[in-house]
Order: sequence, then C-alpha cells, then structure tokens
Amino acid sequence: MNQQIRFGDFTREIKINQKTISYNELTPKPVLDSSGQEIPFHPKKIHLRSIDVAKLLSPYISVRLQAQVRAVVPLALYLVLFQVLILRQEVLDHAIIVWGLFAVIIGLMVFMEGLKLGLMPFGELIGNRLPKKSKLPVVLFIGFLLGIGVTFAEPAIGALQTVGSIVDIHKAPYLYVLLNQWAGTLVLLVGIGVGLAAVLGTLRFLYGWSLKPIIYATLCPTLLLTLYCMSQPDLAKTLGLAWDCGAVTTGPVTVPLVLSLGIGIASAAGKGSSSLSGFGIVTLASLFPIIAVMLLSIYISFNYSVQDILNTASTQAAATQSINWYQTTPYIEIIGGLQAIVPLVIFLFLVLIFVLKEKLQESGIVTYGLILSVLGMIIFNLGLSYGLAKLGSQSGSLVPASFTHLNHIKDSPLFTYSMGITVAILFAWILGFGATLAEPALNALGLVVENLTNGAFKKEMLMYSVSFGVGCGIAVGLVKIIYDIPIGYILLPSYLLGIFLTHCSSEEFVNVAWDSAGVTTGPVTVPLVLAMGLGFGDAVNAVEGFGILSMASIGPIVSVLSMGLWIQYQARSKKNVEEELLTNGLEA
Amino acid sequence: MRKITVLSDVALITCIVQRGAADKIIVAAKSAGAQGATVYFARGMGVRERLGILGVAVDVEKEVINIVVSSEQVERIFEKMYFAGNLDTPGMGIMYITRVEKAATYIPPEILERLKTTPDNTEEKK
Repeated sequence: MNQQIRFGDFTREIKINQKTISYNELTPKPVLDSSGQEIPFHPKKIHLRSIDVAKLLSPYISVRLQAQVRAVVPLALYLVLFQVLILRQEVLDHAIIVWGLFAVIIGLMVFMEGLKLGLMPFGELIGNRLPKKSKLPVVLFIGFLLGIGVTFAEPAIGALQTVGSIVDIHKAPYLYVLLNQWAGTLVLLVGIGVGLAAVLGTLRFLYGWSLKPIIYATLCPTLLLTLYCMSQPDLAKTLGLAWDCGAVTTGPVTVPLVLSLGIGIASAAGKGSSSLSGFGIVTLASLFPIIAVMLLSIYISFNYSVQDILNTASTQAAATQSINWYQTTPYIEIIGGLQAIVPLVIFLFLVLIFVLKEKLQESGIVTYGLILSVLGMIIFNLGLSYGLAKLGSQSGSLVPASFTHLNHIKDSPLFTYSMGITVAILFAWILGFGATLAEPALNALGLVVENLTNGAFKKEMLMYSVSFGVGCGIAVGLVKIIYDIPIGYILLPSYLLGIFLTHCSSEEFVNVAWDSAGVTTGPVTVPLVLAMGLGFGDAVNAVEGFGILSMASIGPIVSVLSMGLWIQYQARSKKNVEEELLTNGLEA
Repeated sequence: MRKITVLSDVALITCIVQRGAADKIIVAAKSAGAQGATVYFARGMGVRERLGILGVAVDVEKEVINIVVSSEQVERIFEKMYFAGNLDTPGMGIMYITRVEKAATYIPPEILERLKTTPDNTEEKK
C-alpha cells in the first residue's frame, strides 16, 4: 500500500509559521501641507528592546574581541607556561597581570575600533582632498606634521617611556638621560623621522622611484653614524635604543594613516596604479627614526659630559622626593592617552577647517570613534604597565636562571650551562616565531604579496620566512645580551648582508622584504619583547637590554630576501631547463 | 545545431547583509539544496542612521547574495537563510524572492537524457 503525500503539503508542514503582512501598512503615506506641497518624510528613530540590543551588539563585539584575544592570549600563555613548566617558578602578582592583560585586550579592541571610525576617515579625507586643493609643498609639509602626530599616537611608543625608569644611570648615563629628561624630545625626533619618511614615501609614490637607491642612501648615513657611536664607549650604549626605535614606530596607527595619505596623493596625481608602490614607506619610517635618535644622543654627548648628567640626576632625585598626583596611576596613564590622541586630532581638525575648508561627514560617528580611541589608549596604557610590561620583565628576569646563578631563585642554575643557554635561546626563538606568525598584519601582507607576485611567493612561504627571521633575530638579540656583545658588531654585518642581498634581488622582493620587518612589530609584541629584554639584561647584569627588537627587524629582511633569491633562482633554472628541452627538441 | 535548454520554475533569492556575513548564509542555503551563490559588494544605509549610537554596530559595507533556486525549494531555502543570517535582529539585513521567467545554464547531458524519457517532467512541455 503506497501512501501518497502531496509535496506541497509536506513543505507546508516543515515550514516555520509564516505570517504575512502587507508592506503597504508599514510605509508612510505622503503628507501634504496646506499649500499642497509634499512634506519630506523623516523616519523616526528605532527603539529597540534590550534583547535586540544584545543581539545587535554581541556579534559586533565578539568579532573584535576575538581578534585581540588571538593576539594576546597565546603569547601570554606561552610565557606563563614556560615559566611554570620549564623554569618551575610561580608567576608573581598573577592577579594583577591577568587584569592587566585583560585591559590590554579591551584597550586594543576599543582603540582599533576608534581608529577605524574616528582617525581613518580623517586620514582618507585629507589624503583625497588635500592634493586637489593645495600645492605640493603644502601637502608634503602637512604629511610631515602628520608623521610626527601619528608617532605620538602609536600605542607601542608608550612602552619606551615605561621602560625608561629601569635603566641604571651609572652604567649607561646617556641612555638614562635619553629615556628620562629627554624622553619627550626623543619621541619628537622619532616623529620627525617618521614625518620625513612620509614625505619621501609620498614623493616616491608620485614619481615611482625605485626603492633600492633610497635604501642605499638611507642606510649609508645610518651605518656610518652607528660606526661613530661605536667608537665612543658611552654612546655605544644608546645604539640599541636607537635601532629599537625604528621597530617601534611602524605600528597600527602610523602605517595605515601615512599610507592612506600617500595613496590619496598619488591617485590625485593620476599615478600610483602599481600596487607595489604602496610598499617602502614602512621601511623608511623605520630607518629615519634611527638616524634621528643617534643624532640626538650625539648632540647630548657634545653638550653634556657624563659627570654633568650624574650631578643633575642626583640633585633631581633629591628634589623630587614627593611624587605629584599626576605621576601616579591611573592619572599618568590617562594623561598619556590624552597626550597621544588629542594633539593629533586637533591637528587633523585644523587642517580640515583651514586648509581644506570642508565639513566632516557623519560627524557623530567620527566623534564616537575619537572618544573610543582616547578611551582605548588609556585602557591600553594601564594594561601596558600592569600586564605586558610586568609579565615580560618577569619572564625576562627569570629565563637567565636556566644557565646562571640568580640570587632570588632557589637551586639556580636550573640546568647545566650549555643546556641552560640552549633552553634560553630556544625560548627566545619560539617566542619570536610564534608571536610573528600570529600577527594579523602578516597574514594580510602575505595575501597581498601572493597576489602581486602571481602566486610565485606563496602566502605561507612569506609568513614562515618572516617568522623564522624574527625568531632568529630575537634569539641573536638574547645572545647579544648574555655575552654583552656590542650591538654594532651584529647590526653592521647583518645590514651589510641585507644590502648585498638587496643588490642581487629584484625590485618586488626588495619592497616586500624591507617592509615585512615593519609588520612584525605590533602593539603586543613590542612592549613584551622590550620589557623581556630589559628584565633579562637586568638579571644577567648587562649594561642595557635594548637591541632585541632591532635584531627582530633585520632578521626577516635577510630571510625574506634570501627566500626571494631562492625562488628567482628556481624559476630561472626551471626556465633554463625548459629552454634546453625546446632547443634540443628543435635540433632533433 | 546547438540547442539551448531553458529552465522554468525558477526563483531568485536576494539577500543583503553586512560585509562578512554572507558565508554562513550561503552554507545554510547550500545545505538546504541551493546549487550555488553569487556575492557582490555594495554599500547600504537606512537602519544604521535610525539606530542612533547603536548604528556603529552596523557596517555600511554590505554583501549582496544572489541564489537561483527552483520554485519548490524556494520557501525552505528562504527560511534557512533567514535564520542563518539572524535577519530577525535589527540592522542585520533584508531578503526577498523574485520570480524568474526562465534561466539557462549547463545541464549535465545524462540528466537531460533522463528527463526526456519521462515526458511530463520536461521543460519541452512548455
């Protein structure tokens, strides 16, 4: 007995109850005023039930939260597990660190959203409109000022000021002065470096200059200044800081804002169709600050002797026994957050009103974005001092326990000397490799590169070679601190190698490789690695713990360039084989 | 002589959602029997402005999903997509069905053969 069901009945059964209402009942009827003119319709605001608000906000928040959680949690977990499982040390102040990391996640999430809604529309508007309304010198000058402004707004820059207090004045007086009395000037000079990079990068956009000669021209004075600083024993200690500043500047605020300005100018000039011209600014923005900081330290060394510095420091220490309210948490973080964002916003507003004479569209949303970015910056600053810096310096100060005796750790050294050194180096390598692989910007860069090179340079290949380079760089940086090797001895040969490889490589790979260094140093990695290096240096009684970040910059440059050369070599030999086959075939 | 076989009883579902939301809706539609989907990017506005401060949670950039389905499938897939996209939440998007007069694409020859043998099923009836 066959039972027959109409398919229509079946579909009606499984259907969820549909209720039909006419759309006519929802739409407004035209309203006429007394003279018969139609009054334009203005929709009312929608009032939501709280359940709807929750449903609306939960996907919005969770996507953004997840991105930051992915950046922070694995790194922190790695440090904690290493400390607990390998070094068998308890994490001190774990409650504070957890709250601090939580603040970092929330702060970064809020800040990035604020950046997207508040600062980026500004940057794009100015980038699009400015070249049409003003002459090139004005445009370049504003780009220069913008470069300074974004440097102050960079979250990782705050990390430099946070670590300044750790430096011992007697061991490295110039370094101490740079990070304390001259800290403001230091950031300003780094900003000027970024500003100059923005100008040069924009010109490169306009005229389509090749990156190679620019790199040679910038690296020559940089390396010469490094050589000079190396010859002065007191100045040599500031080199690590100078080179690290380059890595710090290229963060999530600088890169997109400067890029959007440059792209806007190039498209207004009808150029910049080549997507590769978007590269290169990041490289320049990390090289110029190095020169600027070295010049500053040389300037200080000419004007103040070591004795002067020690004297002023001691008198100052006597004078400032009482700490003002604005130097205590949370006020110092709040002031820091305001200082970072507000001047940049005021500058952008002034440009908009007086140079462009334009109004901002959607000013409500932009204001909301700006408030978010200030709030996010403040929360991030709090998290920076209590979460990232604390955790980083703690693991940094504990890792040496694996190979040397430390007073505050029982049973140290934990391993034999060679074993302990291996553990420490492996720790650093995995840290660099993992943190870089997790960086979202690297993923994005990988996709771009794969498209630009028509798949010759695979995304995974780029990601792994950059991470490999960073891992090796951080490991070398650690070795540098353990054995107190002057940083110049490592930097000079590796940059010379970089120049040599650049000379051999084709333009595309040069662009990608030099920029990949800037991508790797995000707002989470920088403070963590800086604090780790300083804590590490402190524990092994090194003079200063800077330099790890700069090693992490040159590492990927060399590794990506070598990878590029290898790919080129492979492609060429494949071509040769094919040609040979072809000619052989013709002869036969 | 090349022949064109046209399909009747076709409907088009168009679904406009925020950028990034299309993928899971398409997965739901496919699992309900949709053959494929076309997505393109667009910008949209309306609810965003009327939500006030909550409007920031709604992206201006949209994805428009076009799915061609058979008229028997259309209701089922329509519902699946509605719930997969959480369209019962304000600002999530809108979707609609359009009747399509005819459609034509590649139809595997063995299916054409099979349909020819059962006369009351073919499109040649029309």
